[in-house]
Amino acid sequence: MKKSILTYILGTCVVTLFSACKPEFKQEENSPGSIDATSFVMIGGGSVSGFMDDALYFEGQKNALAQLIAQQLELVGGKEIHQPYVSQGSNGLSLEGNARFKLNYRTDCKDISALSPVRAAASGDLSILNDVLYNGQKPFGNFGVPDLRLLQVNEAGYGTQNGFFGRIMSAASASVLSDALAANPTFFALYLGVEDVLSYAKSGGKNNSELPSLSEFQTAYEEIVNAFIGLGCKGAISLIPDVTQMPYFTTIPYNGLTLDAENAQTLNNIYNPLDFYFEVGSNPFMIEDGNANQFGIRQILEGEKLLLSLPLDSVKCNQMGTLFPIRNEFVLTLEEIAFIQTRIQGYNSIITTIANQHNLALVRADAFYDKLQSGFMYNGVSMSSTFVSGGAYSLDGIYFNAKGNALLANEFLKAINIRYNSTIPALNAGYFNATIFP
Amino acid sequence: MINRFVFVLFLLLVTFHAQISLGQGFQVNFQGQKQQGMGLAGTAYYQDGASLFFNPGSVAFSNENSVNVGFTPTFANTLYVDSATQQGYRTNSPMGTPFSAYGLFKLKDSSNVRLGLAVYTPFGSTVQWEDNWIGRFALTRLQLSSIFIQPTFSYRINEKLGLGAGFIVSVGSVNLQRDLPVQHPNGEYASAELSGRAYGFGFNAGIHYNVTEKFGLGLTYRSRINMGVSNGTAAFDVPESLEANFPDGPFQSSLPLPQVITLGLSYKFTEKLVAVLDINYVGWSAYDTLAFDYEKNTPSLSDTKSARNYVNIFAFRGGVAYDVWKGLTLRLGGGFGFTPVQAGYATPETPDANRLYGTFGLSYAFGDHFSVDASLYYTQLKRSDTNLETNLSGSYTTKAIAPGISLIYKW
Repeated sequence: MKKSILTYILGTCVVTLFSACKPEFKQEENSPGSIDATSFVMIGGGSVSGFMDDALYFEGQKNALAQLIAQQLELVGGKEIHQPYVSQGSNGLSLEGNARFKLNYRTDCKDISALSPVRAAASGDLSILNDVLYNGQKPFGNFGVPDLRLLQVNEAGYGTQNGFFGRIMSAASASVLSDALAANPTFFALYLGVEDVLSYAKSGGKNNSELPSLSEFQTAYEEIVNAFIGLGCKGAISLIPDVTQMPYFTTIPYNGLTLDAENAQTLNNIYNPLDFYFEVGSNPFMIEDGNANQFGIRQILEGEKLLLSLPLDSVKCNQMGTLFPIRNEFVLTLEEIAFIQTRIQGYNSIITTIANQHNLALVRADAFYDKLQSGFMYNGVSMSSTFVSGGAYSLDGIYFNAKGNALLANEFLKAINIRYNSTIPALNAGYFNATIFP
Repeated sequence: MINRFVFVLFLLLVTFHAQISLGQGFQVNFQGQKQQGMGLAGTAYYQDGASLFFNPGSVAFSNENSVNVGFTPTFANTLYVDSATQQGYRTNSPMGTPFSAYGLFKLKDSSNVRLGLAVYTPFGSTVQWEDNWIGRFALTRLQLSSIFIQPTFSYRINEKLGLGAGFIVSVGSVNLQRDLPVQHPNGEYASAELSGRAYGFGFNAGIHYNVTEKFGLGLTYRSRINMGVSNGTAAFDVPESLEANFPDGPFQSSLPLPQVITLGLSYKFTEKLVAVLDINYVGWSAYDTLAFDYEKNTPSLSDTKSARNYVNIFAFRGGVAYDVWKGLTLRLGGGFGFTPVQAGYATPETPDANRLYGTFGLSYAFGDHFSVDASLYYTQLKRSDTNLETNLSGSYTTKAIAPGISLIYKW
């Protein structure tokens, strides 16, 4: 008898101890702080819409900046937002009508096969422009529209000139802003101005007159913010990153012209009279520059950028960049880079002032891109702004992939938490896809 | 008898690997059930063959031939809570199986010489994290195991002073797995597995001094042992297009097992009640870097050197034993050890922290020849840190329980 009681007591003790052996996990309560996250609306360009790999397509939209922020706001009382999804099997559509990029083998003009962004189909899925997705009962929360510039946000009838808005607008006369306000938001976020500077930079700095002046920028931005504040919304607005850090502008080295003795001699014979010299090894490419000399050509300088739109086969096989200087549309000169950066600073000081005036959360997207530029470790993964291997950019070299968007969404959440004393947890960016390798 | 003993040892060697994450760093202190019952202390108190580990000098005062086989199944669970996402992730580590086997022999009754053979597992750990956990690119699984084989010679100089020393041959293995941040066509992450066998040599020496009938002192030194992996195998599961960047091939690495200096005290209050205290000084600063040297390097695969920067630490262990009635002894103990892992260096492989633990034990002797010991160990610890290398930032909470048993036959 005595023995069985002892066994019983010992047995109970051991069972208790074994169950005590697993640490208890208590999920923290998340607080919305002083925001009402119920109905979230975000306006912006490509990143906000989920545009990546140079196309709007389903998987990209699933990981749109607006969607990822909304997902976390759901933890503090937000409702799931509606998104204007492209159908799941679609290869997507770029601004120029192309299909999305995938990473695959591409054989170049020299018959060398290498991994490269390759279009998933010969043509983009133009059918998505015929979509009529507006539903008054289920207003969208994501008003990210690829290529949306600041001055177009409040432009009535914008859907007739940009089909990406055309498929989601409430009526032909609608503006992005009017539809966003009609969604009855309680909290808003803006990531605007990026497409403006991008469109200038992607053109190789061709039309700087298309960039809004600082006063135009201020007026338009205030108009949008005031409209939301008029509804009683609180919100987060983001600064504009230095777009010239994007791999689209940094992947092709300025001195990527590799010459052997014979080719160097040939080029020296041609160009020495103009004071341009070539040596065996790496050399700067020849570019067009109307101001350079009577021929309007010169060598590209260190710090100047060759764009990813540069036709590399022409460079490799048809003397582009040597006998035929690279056209201005593929180059950002030092002057153009300085112009972009100065303009971004101007826009950013306006955005900062507006955020301070209205006590909005100010998102330091610019600082995040800078941090990415210098590289950092994220939970054991090294992230940088290097094309493909850097882990953050999609295959277009401009817009982030899902992982990059998650990291940027975390910057929005961080700013919201700081400004509104909320405790919205960050996304685990490691959970999101980067580039898929064949 | 010796033949039978060797057979038992052989069985143990093939059956078990030491796999647990207990003790400071990856040190494991389960080498004797009686000592485990008394807070893992016993450097100045001879009790049984386990003294071959705790103090070869104490063995000089044994007066028996014995075989002692012990096993301590160990259950440890760690919860990691990521500070940014507030998500929790757990380990699914397998049961740890530290064991010890001791054979103790006196040549003849009058001799001052004692011979012993000890086989035990003082270092090792297996940490297996749940699938898709947030630190998967730092570590998914690490298995370290080592088995020490220590032939020992002890000599009793007089009734007060005993000396002993053993030569250690250490055989071990390592298996490290983690995910790589590149994705297969199906979205699965690539992974790396590094595995290899390791060997090392060292020694364990001790002095035991009986100051009075009641008061004993012990001092031991266990040397540092470098476990070298000279011909490991690195295997990569990567997308086909990246296979040339991550070639499978040999690698070299090494892991230092630190030196340990222990001062022990024992005091017999009565014939039935004894108390022991051990103070360890562990030379963890030997573990400053974890390096992997791949034979085939590529732009994607370079040799790695990760700073560990462990520091030397003290640990304090103590306990009491009380003979309740004929043949039955109860034990109670506990201890505290500082962590060798500095701020900024906590990793998923050894989520270590300062730790407090408690132990309990009992023995029962069935007549003159055969006895059974049992013990129970419990600890919990918590470490919050941001790792300087990976930026993993969060808190690790570990709870561990280890019930142990040993069988002793003496003649």
